Amino acid sequence: MSILDGDGCDQPTKLEEPYLDVHRHLRYWKMCIRAPLPHVYLSNESNRLALAYFIVNSITLLTPPPSERTAETPEPLISREDKTLMRKWVLHHQHPTGGFCGTSSLVFPLNSYDTYNFDTKTSDEPDHAGLANITSTLFALQLLALLADEEDETAAENVFEGVNRTGTLRWLKSLQREDGSFGEALSDLPGHGRFIAGGYDMRYCYIATAIRWILRGDVEEGSPGWVEDFDTEALARYILNSQTYDRGFAGNSQDEAHAGYAYCAIAALTLLDRPLTSTSTPSRSSLLHSSIRDLPGLIHWLASRPFVYLEPPSPPSDSDTYIYQEDDLDDPNFLLPPTPADLLCLLSQTAEQKGHDKIHVAFNGRTNKVADTCYFWWVGGALANLGQLHNDDSDSAAAPLVDREAARRFLLEKMQHRIGGFGKSPGSPPDLYHGFFGLAILGLLDHKGEKGKVRRFDAGLAVPKETVGVIERARRKLVEGESGKVDEKQTGRGKEAVELGLELRGGGERPKWLGTCGY
Amino acid sequence: MPPKNKVATKPKATESAPATITTTTTNPTTTTSTSQPASQPSEPTTVLERSQHRYEQTRPFEAARRQHGLSKLSKEDQKGWICDQLLHLTDRLPAASRSRLLGPKASKEIWWTINGTNSIVRGLKYKHKSEPHTTWGTDRDGHDVGSYSIERFDERTKKRIALTALQVSSRVFRENVEREKRGYVDARSGQEVIVTEREIDEEKVRRSKMAALKKELYGEITGKLASSVEWEDVVPIPHEEPEGALAAIAYPAEYAEAMSYLRAVMSKKEYSPRCLRLTEHIIAMNAAHYTVWLYRAANIFALGLSIPEEIEWLNEVALANLKNYQIWHHRHLLVEHYYPTIASDPTALAQFAKQERDFLIAILSEDTKNYHVWSYRSWLVGKLGMWEDEEELKSIETLIDEDVRNNSAWSHRFFLVFSNPKYATPGKGATERDEKVTQELVDREVKYAQEKTYLAPQNQSPWNYMRGVLVKGGQQLASVQGFVEEFVVKLGEGEEEEEVRSTHALDLLAEIYAEKGENEKADLCLRRLAEKWDRIRGGYWEWRRKCLTKSAKVVEEETEKVEAVAVA
Repeated sequence: MSILDGDGCDQPTKLEEPYLDVHRHLRYWKMCIRAPLPHVYLSNESNRLALAYFIVNSITLLTPPPSERTAETPEPLISREDKTLMRKWVLHHQHPTGGFCGTSSLVFPLNSYDTYNFDTKTSDEPDHAGLANITSTLFALQLLALLADEEDETAAENVFEGVNRTGTLRWLKSLQREDGSFGEALSDLPGHGRFIAGGYDMRYCYIATAIRWILRGDVEEGSPGWVEDFDTEALARYILNSQTYDRGFAGNSQDEAHAGYAYCAIAALTLLDRPLTSTSTPSRSSLLHSSIRDLPGLIHWLASRPFVYLEPPSPPSDSDTYIYQEDDLDDPNFLLPPTPADLLCLLSQTAEQKGHDKIHVAFNGRTNKVADTCYFWWVGGALANLGQLHNDDSDSAAAPLVDREAARRFLLEKMQHRIGGFGKSPGSPPDLYHGFFGLAILGLLDHKGEKGKVRRFDAGLAVPKETVGVIERARRKLVEGESGKVDEKQTGRGKEAVELGLELRGGGERPKWLGTCGY
Repeated sequence: MPPKNKVATKPKATESAPATITTTTTNPTTTTSTSQPASQPSEPTTVLERSQHRYEQTRPFEAARRQHGLSKLSKEDQKGWICDQLLHLTDRLPAASRSRLLGPKASKEIWWTINGTNSIVRGLKYKHKSEPHTTWGTDRDGHDVGSYSIERFDERTKKRIALTALQVSSRVFRENVEREKRGYVDARSGQEVIVTEREIDEEKVRRSKMAALKKELYGEITGKLASSVEWEDVVPIPHEEPEGALAAIAYPAEYAEAMSYLRAVMSKKEYSPRCLRLTEHIIAMNAAHYTVWLYRAANIFALGLSIPEEIEWLNEVALANLKNYQIWHHRHLLVEHYYPTIASDPTALAQFAKQERDFLIAILSEDTKNYHVWSYRSWLVGKLGMWEDEEELKSIETLIDEDVRNNSAWSHRFFLVFSNPKYATPGKGATERDEKVTQELVDREVKYAQEKTYLAPQNQSPWNYMRGVLVKGGQQLASVQGFVEEFVVKLGEGEEEEEVRSTHALDLLAEIYAEKGENEKADLCLRRLAEKWDRIRGGYWEWRRKCLTKSAKVVEEETEKVEAVAVA
C-alpha cells in the first residue's frame, strides 16, 4: 500500500518498478459509474450495454473477491443492492422473443410488440426484429454474470433468471448467413424481406460462439429446452477461410489482417469446442490447432505486432545526425528508424543516457500501424487462447513469445493517465474502452506486480475467472429449469475435435505442427 | 362569556393604548385602527407586496397580531383574532361539521363577533410562509415572479393570456386535422372538414409564436418536431428506463426528442419522406446509430428513392465522419439494391464503378488506412467485377508510391491480383496454393514487391507480400534466396563484419534454409535475431529455434519408421 499513498506522478528519483495505481483507476471508474457520461460518448448511444460492460467489468477486475477481502479493503464500488437494480436494468433490454437491445432507448413499451402472444410466449413474426443485437446480447449476458452477488452462492446461481434462453438461441441461429458468418441483427427491408444486417465482421462470429457457450449447455435433442444448434462447421469454415496471405486474420477472406479480428477468429474457434465447465483446467483448443491453415504463420503474425516504442524526439539541433524521416513525425507513435542497426544504435544511446536498458514495447493492430493500448489485449488475448502467452507447461526456461515485462512497462508508464484509467495512445485521456482493455490484459498477464490488485481474466470469455464460474453455474441452473436434467459431457471431446479440425482443412496432409512445439 | 349585545361596538379605550382595530358601528366605513402603521404602507411595488397588502386588508386581526404580538392587542381585538382563527381553521369544513365541532352557540358568537368588527369575513389564506416564490412560481431565469413590479407582472399576464388563446386555436386546428383524417362532415355546412393550406400556414405562425412565448415565459424550449405541423399526428414515445441504469449519456434535449419520435414511427413501421428527414436529423447528431441507418435504408427502398442521390448525400456524411462504421454498411446495402438495375448495362456499370472509385480515392486521401473504407472497396471490386479495371490497380500503386508502408494498400493489391475469378480458383484461401496462378503473374508480383523492398528494407509489408505470392504460386521460398541474401551480409562472421539491413530478410532466410533442410544455417539466422537484431522478439525467435529441432526430430523419427517398414 505504501507506494500507493504517495503521489504516483512525481518524477521518480531512481528507477521505479512500474506499478498499477489501483486507487486512481478506481476513482476513474467511480466517476464513470456515478455520473452521466460526457457527450462524446453519444456515438455509443446505440450500444450502451457495451459501455456498461466496460465499466462493470473493470470495477470487478479491481475488486477483490469476498474471500480475499481484508479489513483494509475499501467498500466495493457497486453495492449488493445496486447490483440487483442493475441486473433488472440489464434484463429490461431483453427483446420479448429473445436477444437483447443495445440501448434502453430502443426498448419499446411492451404493448408495441403487437404480434407477440403473451399466452404462448411466442411470436412467429416478431416485430421490430432489428432491435435485438448480437453484440448487446453477449454484453447483457456477461453483465448479468458480472453483477452476481458474490457473497451469496444461491443468488449467483440465479443470475440468468429471466433470460429467454431458448428464444435467444433460436434468434442467434437466425443471424447466421449461408456462408457460415454472422450478422448483428435482423431487419425488414422493403423489397428485400427479412435480412441479416451487419457487415462481414469477425466480431459477430466470435460473439455468436460466446453466446452459444454461455447459454446452450448440453441438452439432449428432443428434450425440452433443446434448441437446434447453429451450423458450427460452416462458421469454422468461414473463420478459417479468413486467414490472410500475410498469415493474420481479417474480418473476411479479402481484407487486411487485423489484431482485433485475429483475436475474434482464434477465440471463436476455441469456444466452439470449449468444455462446458473449464474453470479449473486451462483449455487448449484442439479444433483450433488442427484446423487452422497456417498456425506457425499466425503466431509469426501475432509476434510481429509488438515494436519498440520510442519517445517523440525533441527538435533536432544538428540536422546531420537526425535519423528520422520527415514524414515519420506525422506519426508520433511509430518512429522506428530505417534500419535495424540505426535502432540498435539509438537504443544503446538512450540506455547510456538513462543509465538502464529498460525499453518500452507497444503493440499495433496491423502492419506498420501505431501503438494502441487495446492491441496489447487483442494480441495478448489471441496468444493466450493459443496457449502461447504463458509457456508455463512446456519449457519453463524459455522466454515468452512476447516481451511481457517491457509491454507491461509501456502500459503502466506510458498509457496510465493521471486521473486514472488508460488512454488509447501515450498522453491521450482515458476512455472506457481503453481503460477496460488495459486492465483486461493485466488480468491476463498475471504478473506478480498485480497480485491482489487485478483479478485473473479469462481470455476466451473476456470476464474474470470467477465470473466464468458464475456463468457455468447459472447456465446449469437455467438449463435444469428448462430441461429437467443436466448431462454435461466432460470428456472425449479432444480427439473428436482434432478429427473435425482436420476435416475442415479439407483433408490432405496432417499439419506438421500437431504434437510439436507445444501446440 | 361575552355579552349578547354588540360588545365590540363599544371598545374601551384602555390606558395602555393597546393596538386596536375594532371599530364602532357608528363608523362602519372605516376598518382602520388606531395603530396600524404597517397595513397602511406606501403603494405596493412588487406583486408579493401587493398580495401581502391584500392579505392584511382582509385579515386585520391577524395582521395586527403579527405586527404587535397577541398580548399587546386589546381584549376586543384578541377576541376578534381568536374568532378569526377559529373561523378560518374550520373554514373548509361543511357547515354542519363546523357547528358540531364548535357548538351552535359558539359558532353563532364567532360570526357575531366578526361581523361586528366589520372585519372582512372571507379573508385570504396566507400561503407564502417560508418560500414565498411557491405562490407565483419562477420565470425562465429562475427568478421569483413575486418580485416582479406590478407593471411587469401585468405584462407577463397578458402574454400568458395570449399563449392560452393561441393554444386554444391550436387545439381547434388539431381537432380539425383529426376530423379531416376521419372524414367528418361539418354539421353546419354539411361538407367534409378540410384543412386548407392557409390554415396550415396560420398554424405554423401560431406555433412559432407559441414556442417564442413559452421560451420567454417559462424558458421552455419546444422541440423542433413537437412544434412542427408535419409531426402533428405522431405521439412520441418518450424514453423511460428503470432504476439502476448504467452508462447514461448526457445528450441534448433535441436528441432525446428526435429519438422519441423515431420510436413512434418505427413502432408503426411508417415509411415516408418525413421519416427519412428524421433519420437525417438524428444522423447529424449521432452518425453511429445502426438502427437509424437500417431504418433509413428501409425508407429509401420503400419509397423507391433514387440511390445515386442517396449516395451523393452519403459522401458528405462519410467525409464528416471518417471513423464511422455504419455509413459503410449503409452504402453496401444501397449498392446491393442498386446493382440489379444497372447490371445488364456495361456502360452504366462502368460509370458507377468510376464514381465509386473516385470517391474512395478522395476519402482515402483523408485517411489512408481506414479499415471500413478498404473493406468496402474490396467488396465493391467483387460486386461490380472491377478485376480487369486497370484504373483500380493503378490507383493502388499510386497509394503505395505515396507511402510504401501502407499495408492496407498492399493487402488490397493481393486481393485484387489473386482473387480475380478469371484465373483464380474460387474458394481458395489466401494462404493456400492456387495451381491456376501462372508463373508469369508470380514473377510480376515478386518483382514488384522486391522493387518496393529496396525503398525501405525494414518495411515488413513487401516482405509479407512477396512471401504470400510465392506460397500462392506454389513456389519454393528458396527461389528468392539471392534477393534475400542481399540484405544479410557475413552472418555469424563477427560483430563487426555482420550486417543485417532487414530483420525480415533474416527471418525469411531462416525459413529458406529450413525449407532446404539446412537447419544449422536456419538456426544461426534465428539465433542472431534473438541475440542481436530483433531482441524484443527474443522469445519468439527462441521458440522458432526449438520448433526447428523438434520438427527435425519428427522427420527423423518418421524417416526411421518408414525405413523400418521398408526393411520389414
